[in-house]
Amino acid sequence: MLEIKDLKVRYGNIEALHGISFTVDKGEIVTLIGANGAGKTTTLMSIARLPRPEAPTVIAGDIIYDGESLLNVSPDVVVAEKRIALVPEGRHIFGNLSVQENLQIATYALDKDANVKDAYEKVYSLFPRLYERRKQRSESLSGGEQQMLAVGRALMTGSNFIMLDEPSMGLAPVLVYDMFKALRQMNEENMTILLIEQNAKIALEFAHRGYVIDTGEIVASGTGKELMENPDVKKAYLGG
Amino acid sequence: MFTSFFQNIINALQWGSFYSMIALGYCLVYGVLRLINFAHGDIFMVAAYLGFIFITFLFKYIFVGGGVSGWLILAITLPVVMFFTSVLGVFIERVAYRPLREKGAHRLYVVITALMVGLILENGNLALFGASSRKFPAIIHRSVISFSGVHITNLKVLVIIAAFVTFAFLQAIVNKTKIGMAMRAISYDKFAIPLMGIPVNKVIVFTFILGSSLAAVAGVLFGMSYPVLNPYMGMIIGWKAFIAAVVGGIGDIKGAFLGGFLLGFIEILIVSFFSSNLKDLISFLILLIILVIKPTGFYGVAKSTKI
Ligand SMILES: Nc1ncnc2c1ncn2[C@@H]1O[C@H](COP(=O)(O)OP(=O)(O)OP(=O)(O)O)[C@@H](O)[C@H]1O
Ligand SMILES: [Mg+2]
Repeated sequence: MLEIKDLKVRYGNIEALHGISFTVDKGEIVTLIGANGAGKTTTLMSIARLPRPEAPTVIAGDIIYDGESLLNVSPDVVVAEKRIALVPEGRHIFGNLSVQENLQIATYALDKDANVKDAYEKVYSLFPRLYERRKQRSESLSGGEQQMLAVGRALMTGSNFIMLDEPSMGLAPVLVYDMFKALRQMNEENMTILLIEQNAKIALEFAHRGYVIDTGEIVASGTGKELMENPDVKKAYLGG
Repeated sequence: MFTSFFQNIINALQWGSFYSMIALGYCLVYGVLRLINFAHGDIFMVAAYLGFIFITFLFKYIFVGGGVSGWLILAITLPVVMFFTSVLGVFIERVAYRPLREKGAHRLYVVITALMVGLILENGNLALFGASSRKFPAIIHRSVISFSGVHITNLKVLVIIAAFVTFAFLQAIVNKTKIGMAMRAISYDKFAIPLMGIPVNKVIVFTFILGSSLAAVAGVLFGMSYPVLNPYMGMIIGWKAFIAAVVGGIGDIKGAFLGGFLLGFIEILIVSFFSSNLKDLISFLILLIILVIKPTGFYGVAKSTKI
């Protein structure tokens, strides 16, 4: 489904990814783990084709999705036509809009006859708290609720491939559990997931496969279980 | 006493209407791009000239014999001028602002570019029409509505109605349509807009169309009310409208709208109590004091609704 080939990107003159390769197959949950500054967010922003200055410029390699390169696709088309959604680091919800409007705006690019009602129902059943607060200005939501909204919004775009950048960031343990339960349920309903996590333990337990990224390079890969048992990974990311 | 008071209110509303319609253009572009579009006052000036050119053209080639209702001419002129002014606004965004944005240039450079665009419009106009001022054709017969000693011209009423109608229309677009929602969203977080499948540039182009159209309405009505046109007419009025927008709270269209009227009232009040020479001095002092007390303007909130 997604194939990253020798991808090199840079911010200005600083190269942030030095040729990384990995794949995500249809229906999979794949995770990218790595320390701060390793290049995880950079990878997702490159795939989403977001513009400078926040996102980097691709200088070599390719991003292939369903057999076609995404390099010359604009970011709105990545969502509107390729149906790839990104839940960005830091959530980026529209705080001046209500919860419901945040979900509604994500349907901007859906076809006229798309079933928006079902989409709302699905989001609200995954995250009942959002339904309770649907009229509320989303700025006033708690951090965890904002994260749910960010994920819900990605679902509303009608994507079948979703990339999540640290969805557990800043959430209380019980909310992290809920979040991953919701993601699991989405995956069982045919959503392919590419997940970034600081919390390697949770990520590796949750994902089918994973890659370890370190200062812009992939240094290990395998199934979640394999990586958890890999001594180097254990030492560096799982606290011994 | 009562009659002059009422007269003043009408004048304040009329000037407030001009300021508001222009202030809204600053406000819209600022909300979406965080750009103070210093060329906007000159876009208003160009709109007045476009009205002048188009009406002259109508009289010369289409309605040669005369005898056509002025209202009909206005009804034809407004959409045409709105269209061409929008083309100008979008063109400026396309050739001057967008390339800088795409290169990731600092906002300061874009603001300076906006200033330069304004100067180019003024001097381009000077080159085309020369320094002498032009007379806007009188299309609507100025009639005076009088009751209990108060005289109101039909043009003043028209200007005031136009300001409220365009504002209501704008409110509806911003609050009720999909693209309006995108405008509100982009003012809060531009980064996430493409992630919703929305092309950022489309929202920006639409914003310039709205702002330029408002300037076009203001420009044509201004030409009809004060028929002497010159290339620098947009400068002072543009500056004033911009300040009005800031005092109202540049992030909010309600703020910009009210700010325009506030300035209109302050000016007329000063003129009726002091000499009109002091008008700008005192009104800017008042606005300065308001801003010092409340730097975000009446409707400005730190990071909330920006449109
Ligand atoms: N906008 C930017 N401009 C310049 N350099 C950047 C920019 N964003 C990230 N970088 C650099 O690129 C490298 C990778 O950053 P990235 O944000 O992808 O890391 P990350 O793996 O997501 O880290 P974290 O876990 O802290 O989110 C870092 O060295 C970072 O300093
Ligand atoms: Mg990151």
